[in-house]
Amino acid sequence: MSYAVEIKNLDKYFGKFQALKNINLEISEGEVFAYIGPNGAGKSTTIRVLLGILNATRGTAKVFGKDAWKDAVEIHKRIAYVPGDVNLWPNLTGGEVIDLFVNLRGKHDKALRQRLIKDFNLDPTKKCRTYSKGNRQKVALVAAFASDVDLYILDEPTSGLDPLMEQVFQDCVMEQKNKGKGVFLSSHIMSEVERLCDRVGIIREGEVVQVGTLDDLRHLTRYAMTVTTKNTIEGLDKLDGVHDIVKESYGLHFYVDTAKMGPIINHLNQFEIIKLESTPPSLEELFMQHYKKEGA
Amino acid sequence: MSANFENTSILTRFMLRRERVNSLMWILILGGVVILLVPGMFYALPPAERFAILETLSMPAMVSMVGPAFGEYGTYGALYTNFMMAFTVLTVGLMNIFLVVRLTRADEEKGRLEVLRSLPVGRLSNLSAALITALIINILLGLFIALGMFGFGSALNDTGMCLNGSLLWGATLAVTGLVFAALTAFFSQLSSNSRSAMGYAFMTLGFFFLLRAPGDMNPDMEILALISPLGLPLRTAAYAGNYWWPILIMFAIASVVTGFAYYFQSIRDIDQGIIPAKPGRAHGSFLTKTPQSFVLKLMKTTIIVWLVSMFILGAAYGTVFGELDTFIATNEMYQQLILGPFAIEFLEGLTIDETVAAMRTAVAAAGFAIPQLFSAMINLIMGMFVTVPSVLFVMKMRKEEAEIKSELLLATPVKRSSYMSGYVIIAFVMAVLIQMATGFGMYISAAAVLYNPADFPLSFAMQAALIYVPAIWVKIGLTVLIIGLVPKATGIVWAYFAYTFLFLFFGQGFGIFPDWAAYLSPFAFVTQLPLGPGESVNFVALGIKIAIAAILTVAGFYFYKKRDINAITH
Repeated sequence: MSYAVEIKNLDKYFGKFQALKNINLEISEGEVFAYIGPNGAGKSTTIRVLLGILNATRGTAKVFGKDAWKDAVEIHKRIAYVPGDVNLWPNLTGGEVIDLFVNLRGKHDKALRQRLIKDFNLDPTKKCRTYSKGNRQKVALVAAFASDVDLYILDEPTSGLDPLMEQVFQDCVMEQKNKGKGVFLSSHIMSEVERLCDRVGIIREGEVVQVGTLDDLRHLTRYAMTVTTKNTIEGLDKLDGVHDIVKESYGLHFYVDTAKMGPIINHLNQFEIIKLESTPPSLEELFMQHYKKEGA
Repeated sequence: MSANFENTSILTRFMLRRERVNSLMWILILGGVVILLVPGMFYALPPAERFAILETLSMPAMVSMVGPAFGEYGTYGALYTNFMMAFTVLTVGLMNIFLVVRLTRADEEKGRLEVLRSLPVGRLSNLSAALITALIINILLGLFIALGMFGFGSALNDTGMCLNGSLLWGATLAVTGLVFAALTAFFSQLSSNSRSAMGYAFMTLGFFFLLRAPGDMNPDMEILALISPLGLPLRTAAYAGNYWWPILIMFAIASVVTGFAYYFQSIRDIDQGIIPAKPGRAHGSFLTKTPQSFVLKLMKTTIIVWLVSMFILGAAYGTVFGELDTFIATNEMYQQLILGPFAIEFLEGLTIDETVAAMRTAVAAAGFAIPQLFSAMINLIMGMFVTVPSVLFVMKMRKEEAEIKSELLLATPVKRSSYMSGYVIIAFVMAVLIQMATGFGMYISAAAVLYNPADFPLSFAMQAALIYVPAIWVKIGLTVLIIGLVPKATGIVWAYFAYTFLFLFFGQGFGIFPDWAAYLSPFAFVTQLPLGPGESVNFVALGIKIAIAAILTVAGFYFYKKRDINAITH
């Protein structure tokens, strides 16, 4: 099995501050992987280590089997990077910057470049100093997707885009995914992650606390349940795996640990169920739950 | 109408609050230096030496830098004004450019003005508040300096530093500051971004400084100094003639320019400049193909501006060469200073023309011409000065890193060494080219004013300028090393620059520095051209400098490859 990204026991210190604590991640080639976590959790630091811009204090980070620090230049021939906060050269036009990045990465597909500029509705003749945050991001995105690479490393790439452009971005990612290209996406936009990503990694205070497919993650967490019964439900709070019971006019609303679902349903059955709804948690809830649970 | 100025006073207080650290530092440091140098120079220069210094100040090269000499006044105060006023007003000009751009166009560019304008604030309130803030800061600076100078002047013996002169000193600074505040406010209207507003203002500052030089050197051209806001302040002659009229003219200039700034502010839209921004290229040119050529593209304008300005500066010095021999012939001290090392002596009692003739013959016999002798000192100062742009070309790299732009390029298949080489190659080459531009400028104007242009041939102009290149390279090498090793400490380079500068002027002869201090300055062992009798070019020293520059540079590359880019420290 060859990995696009392979991080082992990675630590990164800035002086005494430990920004990354024993990170372990394996991302297959062609996989779309989401990296989520609150601000300051270490997402960008991980990405900068992968880019060979920061040197790991301990552990290894490999991209396409090569050392992220030592073989940075070789690796960069196969990746494109888009930062969340794109700073560009104020006196250059967007078109010039796009060409610079595409030229430096190698193969230049002019037709693709034109199509992307049109799709993202970007005016490439404007100087970068006149671009808004969203437009600067578009410049970086066009430059990335116009390059023929095998892995896209995107660090909150859509934080300044409007919903229309967000859609264009998601289409671009799907297009690359269908071509078998990998994406390492750090994001705060959960709908984006749910739609695009094969697997999700959650980082918190420098530690990866969870990695898995969305289903895996859901399995580890709680379903929201609404139940209406003929008879009044009793003893539910004494069952293992039931949380946050709220009494509503129609019945009860509560959360259930996925693994404990069976006994709970059996228990509810005694009271003659009229209506039962169970909703898997959205990624957003998952995310929030995770941080609340850890009592941050 | 008054709605245009709604809430100006609140904005002014807000700006003063924003400026309480920044501008206060300017006032304290600039004012402190100017005030403390009063006793400093008083003790460094005992009365017996002052006359000699006054003589130096009347040399054309010095006049071109510090303005007209008031030799006849002879007091310590006059000497001090003569020595310090030009540089002080120049610095005050810089302070005001930074201040006003910061408070006007930079705020607008960052979107902060928009937030303010959404409040009940007039269309002209921000500009007014910025100018009032500048006025207050300039007055505070002026008062601080006036009182400080008067205090020290009274405490020391026989300085001639009266209250009137001290107040005039302060007023001169304040009103010059105001002129440049107004000019900067004006340029902030013209340009839609702070970078070019500041660029125009700096260019104007440089232009006015150069404009007054020929006016100060040549009485026939004095009008050039009188129309320059950097020539007028030197005509207040504080502690010498104490003229207040230039203050009034300066104030009038500031008022008129402010009027234009207000007019343009009132007719333009927010975020726009009077000069519209043109659409640029939709595609990258051939310069966006490699990291090195890209760096060249980034710095293209800066490169051209430096080459042109240094050419002009060289040419400005060259104009002095025309009447040089007559000047030297009338001044015994110069004969000693310039001709002394060449063992050329004169008989007493000759007329000026006879002296000139004798001097020419004697100098020609030694194998060179008087303008060449004179250019030696200019070349030393210029060589030193060219260090600044050369080092800045490398420093740009650190700036790019801090602005999180370096990582965009380093995330592409660009080697760190090739990225860095873009900056380093430009710096090393530009050291050569700028020196050549200076020498060439000097040659061009010398050829125009010299009776015998062969007295200052191109080959000599080039050699005399280029001999400083290895010394400049050493400082570039140091900068490369610092950026590779401790990028946060680029201040070390400027501290070192300050050291070599101080050493150049106060090192040899004043007994302040120990002997070995010379070894720490790359400029100390440069053989000045033309060569004196029995002198030869110290090629060993040049070779050592090139080697040091190379070692520092290689070490810089080595460390740069090994360090984190833009590491966030907590």
